[in-house]
Order: sequence, then structure tokens, then C-alpha cells
Amino acid sequence: MKLLQENRISYNTDENYAMIFNIERFSTEDGPGIRTTVFFKGCPLKCPWCHNPESIDRNPQLVWYSVRCIATMDCIKACKENALQLTPEGMYIDRIKCTACGDCVEACPSGALELIGEYKSVEEIFDEVMRDNSFYKNSEGGVTFGGGEPLLQYYPLTRLAMMFKEAGVHTALDTTAFTAKKILNMVLPYIDLVLLDLKQMDPELHIKYTGVPNKTILENAKYISQVHKKKIWVRTPVIPGYTDQDENIEAVAKFIKENLPTCERYDLLAFNNTCKDKYDRLGIKFELADTPLMRRGRMQQLLDLAVRKGIPTTYWTGTVRD
Amino acid sequence: MSKESATVRIWKPSEKLPPRIKKLRDEYFSFYDRDYFRNEVRAYTTGMPGDPVWSPHNWGVVPELFPFMKGMFDALRALAEEVKVPDDFWKHTIAYRRGLFFKIVLEKYLPVKILEQELIVGSYFNTALSKVLRPDEQKEWYKREFRWYKKLEFLNDVGIGNTGAIPGHIIPNYPKVLKMGMKGIVEYIESEIEKETDKEKIEFLQSMILSLESAKMLSERYSWEARKLAQEEKDPQRKEELEEIARITAKVPWEPAETFWEALQSIWITHMLVMAAESYPGAGLSHGRFDQYMYPYYKKDIEEGRITKEFARELLMAYWIKHNYVYDYQGRVGQNQGINSGFGQLMTLSGKGPNGEDMTNELTWLIFDVIEDMNLLEPKPNIRVHKNTPEPVLKRITSMVTKTQGSPFLINFDEQAIKGLLWQGMPEEEVWDYAPVGCLENTFQGKDRSGTVDVNINLLKAIELTLFNGRDIRTGKRIGLKTGDPRKFKTFEEFKQAFVKQLKYIIDKLLELAMEADAIRAKFEPIPYLSAIVDGCIEKRKDVTAGGPVYNFITVEGIGLANTADSLTAAKKLVFEEKKISMDELLYHIQNNFEGREGEKIRQILINKAPKYGNDNDEADAMARFVSQLWTKYVFTKKSPTTGRRFRGGYLSWNYWIAYAPAVSATPDGRRRGTFLANAIGPIDGMAKKGPTAEALSVGKLGLETAPNGDSHTMNFSPAMLRDEEHVEKMANFLRTYNEKGGTALQINIIDADTLREAQKHPEDYQNLLVRITGYNAYFVMLGKEMQDEIIARESHKL
Ligand code: SF4
Repeated sequence: MKLLQENRISYNTDENYAMIFNIERFSTEDGPGIRTTVFFKGCPLKCPWCHNPESIDRNPQLVWYSVRCIATMDCIKACKENALQLTPEGMYIDRIKCTACGDCVEACPSGALELIGEYKSVEEIFDEVMRDNSFYKNSEGGVTFGGGEPLLQYYPLTRLAMMFKEAGVHTALDTTAFTAKKILNMVLPYIDLVLLDLKQMDPELHIKYTGVPNKTILENAKYISQVHKKKIWVRTPVIPGYTDQDENIEAVAKFIKENLPTCERYDLLAFNNTCKDKYDRLGIKFELADTPLMRRGRMQQLLDLAVRKGIPTTYWTGTVRD
Repeated sequence: MSKESATVRIWKPSEKLPPRIKKLRDEYFSFYDRDYFRNEVRAYTTGMPGDPVWSPHNWGVVPELFPFMKGMFDALRALAEEVKVPDDFWKHTIAYRRGLFFKIVLEKYLPVKILEQELIVGSYFNTALSKVLRPDEQKEWYKREFRWYKKLEFLNDVGIGNTGAIPGHIIPNYPKVLKMGMKGIVEYIESEIEKETDKEKIEFLQSMILSLESAKMLSERYSWEARKLAQEEKDPQRKEELEEIARITAKVPWEPAETFWEALQSIWITHMLVMAAESYPGAGLSHGRFDQYMYPYYKKDIEEGRITKEFARELLMAYWIKHNYVYDYQGRVGQNQGINSGFGQLMTLSGKGPNGEDMTNELTWLIFDVIEDMNLLEPKPNIRVHKNTPEPVLKRITSMVTKTQGSPFLINFDEQAIKGLLWQGMPEEEVWDYAPVGCLENTFQGKDRSGTVDVNINLLKAIELTLFNGRDIRTGKRIGLKTGDPRKFKTFEEFKQAFVKQLKYIIDKLLELAMEADAIRAKFEPIPYLSAIVDGCIEKRKDVTAGGPVYNFITVEGIGLANTADSLTAAKKLVFEEKKISMDELLYHIQNNFEGREGEKIRQILINKAPKYGNDNDEADAMARFVSQLWTKYVFTKKSPTTGRRFRGGYLSWNYWIAYAPAVSATPDGRRRGTFLANAIGPIDGMAKKGPTAEALSVGKLGLETAPNGDSHTMNFSPAMLRDEEHVEKMANFLRTYNEKGGTALQINIIDADTLREAQKHPEDYQNLLVRITGYNAYFVMLGKEMQDEIIARESHKL
């Protein structure tokens, strides 16, 4: 397995703009209270179960929604690159030709084309997030930086985090922790809570599934907790066949118990397959398309394991089978 | 430890209902099996030829009744039982005659029934009472009433709106009856008579005394009945109960109430007789802050060991069931009439005190349990939330909302509601003690008739009239003003000014009719019984229908706000600013209802390329604010000349957002003719894409104080959003922020589209499923298919 593909590890060094693919208000699943999550585009890992496949590529991507298309052909006329073709199977997007200029999006009357990902200025992001400030105040919520991997864009991220801190807004960072210590040193002073993804404790399997080793991740996790003393919520996506082994969950729990004194809770997130359409639209194959949902009983079992390993504040969420 | 459930557990009555309550509840629902008692309409006439017993103007805001109006009018007259009136009857004023007629009916004609096991008694109250008019009066009444009705039909048909002089929608001064007893009120009226010299006014005051004596009379009849049943009763415990009922009904409402049971019985008789006196079942006749004025009785009884908490709960439950018998009014037609489940005897709970403190008490908490356990439509609770609502109360409210699909109550937001009442000119030291009627219409307790559903204006019609120079394009008739061909308009400002003129014009047309209904009622249909228990009427010597109460308004409810605003925004941006669409094209496709490929393309541009209200988008929201401020401030400048009642705005919009859908052409928001309008202050279905916080902020930007009546806002949440304690808390804090930033009232639906589809397929399994319509609940399975589909669509749009 080839590590760290060049394009996935390069950093956005423009501190005024961040490549963002969504700003989700009333986000209730990414930290305490009512929050807004800012989704950064681009990720150094490549997990086959990713439920935000649009977050992996750091460049904007064009998608087409068949249900919205009324076949006026305005997009095809608008495209200077000749990258679009309406076929009986749907819109064919030549992703090599497409420069993501957005002309077709503008031309489409029905909103059937969408450009996922755009550079937004930090001020613009800040202003939009601040609109819900009164909700954060009453609910002890705030802003969550998610993705993708926000740390890939640590320049604009640091600026944003500083701005929110100054405005008195609680900040959470949802991260893979696959990064450099100096980047953590730069960002963490402005972060109140780290949502830390620990996916697979077996080093071999971790490389196999995500494309990167977990050694850096685990070291950084300790560093965040022990040196920066940041509050942490650990999260494990429970993916059938990938991360749902007893040993894995036990190992995560053990790791938390032994190394992360600032960890407040541990969340088990059941696999969901509702992202299938997103993969289709992006023209990416979803390897787990036919993987069944987790069973309710199994989630409860894994939860019990983690609790027994000494993490009483373990929770599980997600859609499951009975 | 959290879980996500895929299926919704439908709210049902508690398994732990006391057996008596279970029996009484089931009995209520068995309409067809209770041959021994149905509270159907009982009509009473003086026998005078042509005597009307039913007024179209009382039902002018129920257009679905219009096709049956004549039939109802004649049928009730034909069915009416003749009441023997004394020889000198016709010499008196109308008010006196009505008081006397009421007394004779209650004394001799209206039957009395105590159901087995009942604790709170008083059964028959649905009436159609004679208008007691002399032939000369009748002549004028008929002429004016039917001329009025014809005009109303026209305005309704073309989709401008509807109006009437609607009974109910008021909070009588029940605490006064509890404290003074009706006897005390009579003594007060007598002292006023001594001071009065005007003969007509003396008769008016006397008519109130006659009415209050009627209540005494009826209550005594219940006492005799209870005594009789007690004598026949074998079961010693029930015998004792019946004896207690006999004692209580002999005492209240005439004497002041002293115990919790007495207080409940006193209010029930007083309350049901308002419905009887107005010949109007329940709609909007509201209790006010019930948990506040009932608390002393509860507390005293508990402290002195007179009752247990369990028995208090049982009494409340028995009291609850009584309110549902209003639906017997339509028992036989009810099942398939579509919307029919919103009578709304509103009960206000919790809320703030004079110094901003929270007023929740032990009784409030007990009532929360009763609501949750009973699973009934009536009485309808409205819970007041404010800045200082304690965390446990807010959490209890939120978790009740969660467990019951959101249906058991409305939430009223004190800070926002009070802003409106202050804007309306209400005294600062009184506003904390307001209470809503009906659904969410904010009024004062015991002294305010604000005609909260009397006028309903379809704002969106003004857009059609602006586009077509005053013409209704379905009929081709010019029903609006000539404001010019919009193709000649050079700027949006010209377009906007034309719109302003059209809107004001249709408002004027509708208000003219509202004023006439108000005038007819004030002249011919006084309600001395209600006047006696609404403050101001005695002192002013004026009936409750004639401006007697301390506060008097007539409320105009706006329909289609979001469509109107978004139509203006789309025209501004796409036609005048960006010129993506020409006015010519727009008119052409609107006339064609956006048919064809090109039509659909234009429609999509209108939908997708202009911002929409409800997304916290400042441009779209500013337009909505403009529309809202425009019409609400305009109506506030008008008064009904005969009664002096001033018009004020609000957003309830009942079911009109459906009813007027076919009556308005396609509109520039991308809506086709026939597509439902947006509901009250809500965004257009499916157009709010930024979630509930953004929607709440958009609503907040309207400046709703200029619509002081109160504003209906329905929000839908998925059950998963409220799956555990943590999320319930997030929701509670959402509500807290809504109070700071949003509108005056919120109703929440927590249900998923899948469950509703199941319910549509298998109605038998979902008898208890309640859903919110607009300010009121309905049993989902009893709604018409069209309405069901609409609700399913609404749920599917949710983020
Ligand atoms: S984004 Fe630009 S280049 Fe890509 S398909 Fe659309 S118009 Fe063509």
C-alpha cells in the first residue's frame, strides 16, 4: 500500500480562504449543544466507509442530481470545456475535462448541478456561523470544524478558531489526528474540544483500510491529551468487517483508559449506508454499498465491552437493524 | 446510553388511567353507542314565524360550510322546539328577551343528564337558540344578513378572504365566578341598576341577572338529578359521591367555590353555558391561566387533607373529558368532513408573573401528567414559556412533545407575545397576565373580546391582482384596482407600489364586510350571559358583542405571507434586476400555469435563482418583513364604526392556506394554481433549507409585534433528533432561544413520513395519532386524503 499520496497531504497555506464544502447549521451530532459544523474539504485518509465522500478530494467537484434535472440542456450549452453529455443513463461528467468553473451550475434553471467545495473567506465563514450565536449561548453549543480533515488547512483554520475564541464561541475540532505536532501546537490553543476519530487499533489493518499508519495518530492523541490537556471525545465508526471486532473496540477503550486522561466520552457510531447516492453522484465506487447495517444487539455488546474496559461514558448512535 | 428508534411510538392514553376515567373516556368516543346521551344541537324557537335560530355571520369564516349554509339554516329552524314565552315578552328590549328566553330554556327545556360514574356534571350544551326577534326586527335582520352573506360568498369565491362575527374566542372571568359566585355578581349588577336611569340600560342589566339566574336554575336541576340518583344507588361509595355532587351543584356557581371539586364544577357549568348562550360549540372559548387561579383551591384541599393528589388527578381527568363533548355537535358528519377537529377550548399553563418570575406550581405539574395520560383533543393546552422558565419545566415540556409526536400543546413565548401586546397599546402593568384563546391568539383574561378569527385576508391575491391590473384571471373580472400594466413598469418600485395599492384595496373590501357583520351582531344578538362574566360590560352598560369589554379588537389573520414575499423577491431580482425573465414571459407562463417545457423552466428559475424566506437570508426576509409590516400596520389604522373595535393583525390562517389554493393564479414564487399556500408565518414547504435555527431567525426578523394577535409557526422535527436525554436538552435550548429570537407561538410535529404513510394505509391501527394542523390538533386518520397527503409532504421536506 502506497502511503500519503502527494495530492492528499498538501496543505492549504492561504490563511484568508478555506476550501469548504458545507456549513451545516443546527448540527446536533458533532459535540455539545446546538452547533454549526464547518466542513473542510480534503482528507489525508481514504476510508472506504467514508460517509462524506465529497470530503476526500481537496478540489471542488461537480455533481448532478437526476431528480432535479428537467433536461433543458442549458448546462451543456454553457460548458466551455465540453465536459458534459446527457446520456440515457444520466449526465456524464468528464472529470478530466471539467475545470469546476461552475458555469453550468449558474446556467441550470433547476439546481440540478452543484459544485461541491468552494473557497470561502474566513470572514464569510465566521459571519455565517455567528448567525446562530444565540442558540450556542443557550445550549452551550458552538462551532465544530469537521471535514475532511480541517488540519490540512491549518492556516485558515487557526485564524477561524482564533476569531471564534475571541467572540466567546465554543470550538470543537473533528480530526483524524493524522498531522504534525507543530500543526497541533498552532491550532489547539484555540480549540475547546477535540472530537478524535480512532478507527482501527491494529497497525496493519489501519494502513490497509485508511492508507496511513495509526502510529502518528495515536501519538498525537496522547499529545493532545497529555501535553495540550484538551478535552477529548473519542469516536469510532463501527463498520461491519472493518472496525467492529471485539478486540478493536476493547483496544480503543484500553488506549483511552491508559493514555487519554482528558477523554470525556466515547462514541460508537454505527455504520450507515445512506451515503450511497453521494458516491454515485461523484462517480466514485462505494465498496460498502451492499454492507448491511449493524444489529442493535451487537452495538449494545460493543458498548458493554468498552464500559467493561473502564470507559463508563460510552454511547452508541446510528441507524441499526433489530 | 442512546438509541435510535426507526418506528415512532404513537401517543396513546395511559395504561394507568383510573377505571372510572377509562370508562368515561371510552364512553365519549362511542358516539354511536350512546343512545342515552348525545350532545347534539338542540334548537329552540319562540314560534314566531320565520324565527331564525342560526346566524350565517357566526360561521362566515368556515367556507367549507357555505354550500350547506342554507340547508343548516332551514333544518335547524324546522327542528326547533317551541318554547312558550310570556305574553309581555315582546315588549322588552332584545337583550332582555334573550336573557329571559335563556332562562326559560334552562329552566324547562334543556335536558339534564348525569352519566354513570361522573364526578363533574353538566351534559347538554349544544344549542341553536332563537334570535327572539320581532317581525320588524326580523325583516331588517334578514335583509342585512343575507345581503352581507352574498358579498361574503363573492369575496371568498375569488379568494380574497372571509369574515364573520364569530362567537367564542374569549376568556370569561371564571376566577370572579369562583370568588364572588354568580350571586355576588348579581348583587353588584343590582347596585348598578339603582344608579341607572336609562330604561334600555336597566333592561340590559336585568337581562344579565336573568341569565345568571338561569345558570343557578340549571345547576339546581343537576342537584335534584344527583339526589334522585343517589337515592336509587346501591353502591355506597357512589351514593356518597352523588350526594356530594348534589351538594356541590346546589351551591356553585351561584355561591363562591370553596373546594377544588366545587371550583371545577363551578367553572364547568359556567363554561358550558357560554357555549349554550352563544349557540356555538367551544371554538376558542378559553380558560385563561387555569393553573394559576385554580391553584389556591388545590393547595388548600391538599393541605387540609380534604383530597389526595390522586383524587385531584381523577377530578381533573373527569373535568377534561367533559370538554370533548363539544364534538358531538358534528358527531354525525364529523368523520369525513376533512378538517373538523379544532374547537380549541384553550387552557393556559405556566408563564411568567408580574416581576418576570416563573409561575409554574404543583398544579401545573399535575396537569402536565393529566394531559399526557389522557390523550384527548380538548381542552387544548397552551404552555407559556419565558426567559426565566426553569430548566426542569422546559425539559418536561420538551420530553412531552417528544413522547406525543408534538401534539399535546402549543408553546407560547411570553417575551415575543408581550412585545406585540405592548405595541397594541396594552398597559405595561397588565401584560404579563395575558393569555391566549383558541390556538395562540393573545388576549387578556376576563375582559377582552378581540374577535381573533373574525377576518382572514389572503395576501397572495394581491400579487395576482398586481400582475393582471386588478383582474382575477380565472373569471376575467376586475375585482381589484387598475394599477397599470406591469409590462410597462420600469422599476421594481413601481411594481411594489402597485402591489401596495392592490393589497390595501382588498383589505378595505374585506373590512367593510367585517364591519357590517360586527354591526349586525351588535344590534341584534347580544349575549347577556357572557356579558355578565366579562369585565367592562356591566360598567359600560354595553354587551360583549357591542364593545362592552374593557378591551376590544377585531383580528385580521394574514394568509400566504411567504408566497407573497417570495413572489415579490423573485420579481425584483429576476425580472427587474437581473432581467433573467421578462415581465411578458412571466405573465404568459403564469397565465398558462407554468405548463409545458418552457413554463417549467421559468418556474424552476423562479424557484432556484431567487432567495426564499425562511433561510435566514436577509434579502428574502426583509421582503417578508415589508409585507408583514405593511398590512398589519394598515389594518391597525381602522376601526369598526358601530362598536369602536379596532382591527389588529395576526397569523393564524386556519386551513385557508389549502382552501384558497385553487382561487389564486400561479405566482412568481414558482407556485402553480392549486398548490397550497404557505401556512401562517411559515416558509413555503420545502423552501427552508437551512434548518430550524435559520427558520426561527427568519421568523424573528418579521417584527411580529405589529401582528399582536400572535403568529402560528409549525416546525417539524424527526424523531431521531429527539432520541435521547441529550437531544431533548438540545431541543429545550432551541425553544429557549426561539423565545428570544423567533415568533410568538410554536407547534411542533415529531413524526416521520413513513409512520404517516402507514397510518394512511392502516387507519385502524393509528386511531390515536394526533397531528398539528395550524394551531390545532386533529386525528390524522380522520382527515381528508388531500390533507393527509399535504401533511406527509410536509414531513418529507424536513431536513
Ligand atoms: S463546471 Fe464548468 S467545466 Fe465543469 S462541467 Fe460545468 S461548465 Fe463545464
